[in-house]
Amino acid sequence: MRKPGLVLLVLVLVAGSAVGLAACGGSSGKEGGTLTGTYASFPDYLDPALSYQTEGWTAMYDTYLPLLTYAHANGAEGSKVVPALAESMPKISNGGKTYTLTLRKGLKYSDGKPVKASDFKSSIERLFKVNSPGSGFYEGIVGAEEFAETKSGDISGIKTDDKTGKITIELEGPRGTFTNELGMLFAAVLPADTPAKNLTSDPPPATGPYMITNVETGRGWSYARNPHWAKDNSQISEVPSGHVDKIEIKVVRNDSTQVNEIERDKADWMQTSISADEYNKVKDKYEGTQFRVEHPINLYLFWMNTEKAPFDDLKVRQAVNYAIDPEALERIYAGSLAATHQILPEGMPGHEPFDLYPHNMAKAKQLIKEANPADRNITVWTDNESPNNEAGAYYEGVLNELGFNAKLKEINGDNYYTIIGNESTPDLDTGWLSFYEDYPHPNDFFQAMFSGESIAPTGNTNLSRIDDPKLNAKIVKLDEEPLGPEQEAEYAALDKEFMELAPIAPYGTNTVSTFVDSEIDLDKVIFNPTFGQDLASFQFK
Amino acid sequence: MTAGGPWRLAWRRLRRNRVALGFLGLFALIVVFCLAAPLWASEVAHTGPNKTHTLEKIQAGGEEREVVNREGRPIGPQWFEADGKFFLGADGRLGRDEMVRLMYGGRTSLEIGFAAALLTTLLGTLFGLLAGYYGGWPDTLISRALDVIWAFPVTLLAISLGLVLAVGGLQIGPLHLSGSSLWITILIIGGVYVPYMARPIRGEVLALREREFVEAAEAQGAGPARIMLTELLPNLSSTIVVFFALNIANAMLLEALLSFLGVGVQAPNGSWGTMLSGGLDLLTSAPLLTYLPGAMILLTVLSVNVFADGLRDALDPRSKVRIEAHSGLTKAESVEGIAP
Repeated sequence: MRKPGLVLLVLVLVAGSAVGLAACGGSSGKEGGTLTGTYASFPDYLDPALSYQTEGWTAMYDTYLPLLTYAHANGAEGSKVVPALAESMPKISNGGKTYTLTLRKGLKYSDGKPVKASDFKSSIERLFKVNSPGSGFYEGIVGAEEFAETKSGDISGIKTDDKTGKITIELEGPRGTFTNELGMLFAAVLPADTPAKNLTSDPPPATGPYMITNVETGRGWSYARNPHWAKDNSQISEVPSGHVDKIEIKVVRNDSTQVNEIERDKADWMQTSISADEYNKVKDKYEGTQFRVEHPINLYLFWMNTEKAPFDDLKVRQAVNYAIDPEALERIYAGSLAATHQILPEGMPGHEPFDLYPHNMAKAKQLIKEANPADRNITVWTDNESPNNEAGAYYEGVLNELGFNAKLKEINGDNYYTIIGNESTPDLDTGWLSFYEDYPHPNDFFQAMFSGESIAPTGNTNLSRIDDPKLNAKIVKLDEEPLGPEQEAEYAALDKEFMELAPIAPYGTNTVSTFVDSEIDLDKVIFNPTFGQDLASFQFK
Repeated sequence: MTAGGPWRLAWRRLRRNRVALGFLGLFALIVVFCLAAPLWASEVAHTGPNKTHTLEKIQAGGEEREVVNREGRPIGPQWFEADGKFFLGADGRLGRDEMVRLMYGGRTSLEIGFAAALLTTLLGTLFGLLAGYYGGWPDTLISRALDVIWAFPVTLLAISLGLVLAVGGLQIGPLHLSGSSLWITILIIGGVYVPYMARPIRGEVLALREREFVEAAEAQGAGPARIMLTELLPNLSSTIVVFFALNIANAMLLEALLSFLGVGVQAPNGSWGTMLSGGLDLLTSAPLLTYLPGAMILLTVLSVNVFADGLRDALDPRSKVRIEAHSGLTKAESVEGIAP
């Protein structure tokens, strides 16, 4: 006789297994766990007011929130500005000079203190007190310039009401990029009593889903979930809550070692892009499963000093553009570079592809013959990081082939921009540069690199020293207007107008890579074009 | 005994030291290898050390091969498949001929090694002589100045100077040396090692100064300069020669380190140190680019050191000069025969 109890037990077990399998079904992934990541270098700062490097921005994107932020999404979607601590996008009035926002109610910092509207004002003032490299983005606020000079009093153009959460910002003049600038990490809201000094070793309390818990400067840092996120701040639906419970980041200087650690399951993710040496090996082995190519918005170029011979001659500059062979540079960058001959890279609003200078060495030599420059001694500047120094060496060879006497000067990457941005440095003829967007707005490229206003005795970003009044006026005009299809078309035209003057020889946009451990769901990892990998998107399978 | 006597004796002793002579032969081979660079470049490789070939193709082994492929991988050693072109392959994504760069790089490294060693030897001998002979306040002044340099770890001092001078160069009155000039590296390396030679020389001079022949020369009315040149210097010659040889090895090692770190030889000049640094980027895919310059540095420094050791034994077998390596630095102390 059969035992009905045993049969029933088996049936229950089978049914239970089926339900269990369905629940584990693969699409949702695992919540919790500790993500281990590696960086090749410690970020410049772990203070949102001071960091101006991708490493720092990636580290703090999910920790410190401004009133607005950039969508936690890949590609072009990630370039959109969305509300963060503010309830909604700003109301812009008074001819583009007044921005009104309202702070969401009930927000708290990770230490339990309430977030107040006046904290925004003090956070912006703190930028000037700590001499933040980002303070320039906010100098257009009424009273900001005086505050920057005196560092006393307050910025009169920012008015706040802690009871209603209303924040009103008055600008000196309309500024089409101000919405983007409100989304930068520099504008992250911190408690009003945050000390006006570098807080890297003891970061301030967070408003995002994660908080930094422990910092060993130079060696690594950790995150834990913000205890006040779920209850108080998760109303910010535009910012994901994160999947992992903890994140441990350590500095591993050698990128080959970082690759090894992921392959041996000792690390889950490397922030550093894989070096050219290992790039193709890793790509061939892991693409689609653990490796993905990302496309941040950037431009790699050679600048030419238009105030100094021989680059004060348009024909010489055009000749250089014709002479540069993008195919050679693609090989120097081991296939990670996408060639371009224009200013606005793909992905940037206003980008419309064109090529005024397709590679033609014969034409380049003809132009040099016509120009017949008297001064043929050229110093070519580059930093010493591979493959940028090789790009510089290639450029030196091209100039020599054109009949110049070019000499390469390699400078340590830590000092490179300081040295070439200082007008007292001798022989600033031409050199290498990479420019990564501060925010996805074409003005970011034109203002910094081509506006006459940007020429400065130190910290100069307009290395070509081009100062065309007509084009300067166009930059100013477009800066005042909110970005729309009409403005994008005008930026595309401006791109062409500048390239006709050829103050630079752009050669490509570089890609970066996301490489993760096999336990991480690569499809879920978000790469924001401005902030890099989104720590809140990492999830274990 | 005639003036040539001790040298002839030394030569006989050296001739019996087959190991030292063997390494001298190796060093000579390396020097000839490097000196042959222009010949190889023009007659075999048909390219220069800085000429890039990123997009070029060569005929090798009956087929067309890219010097640098689309993924940035440089061509490997072709040996004689391409009639000697890219004999050791290409040096990286710029596609420069590795053999040509190795030979020209060796010229730079040897040039700096010899010149810096000469500078160290000249200045070390001069300061050692002056300090040891005169004593008193000149000795105090010179010794304390040397102590200041001695206080800094040689490597750190050289790196600091290299960093500072790499950008703006050096201006001494009307003389201007650009940051990429080899003379900057020679001056730095030559200068930082001066105390390590001057101190032992001073020690030897202090002992020699009390000897009878010096007293006799003084009694005969010889002035300080004559005594130093005709009495003291000849008695220091064996020490100086040995030190010179050792200084070459030290200078080449330091140059390799500085160039590896980017503060020694500056682009576009190449040396074995810069090649080592460049090869690191391709360590997994093209390890030869690192091993080759590293091996050349190893063999050169080893051969100079072994030969210098043999030379020391040949020149003065009674006096044991103990050479201590201390954190990559060299200081010499005499145990017997020479007072500290």
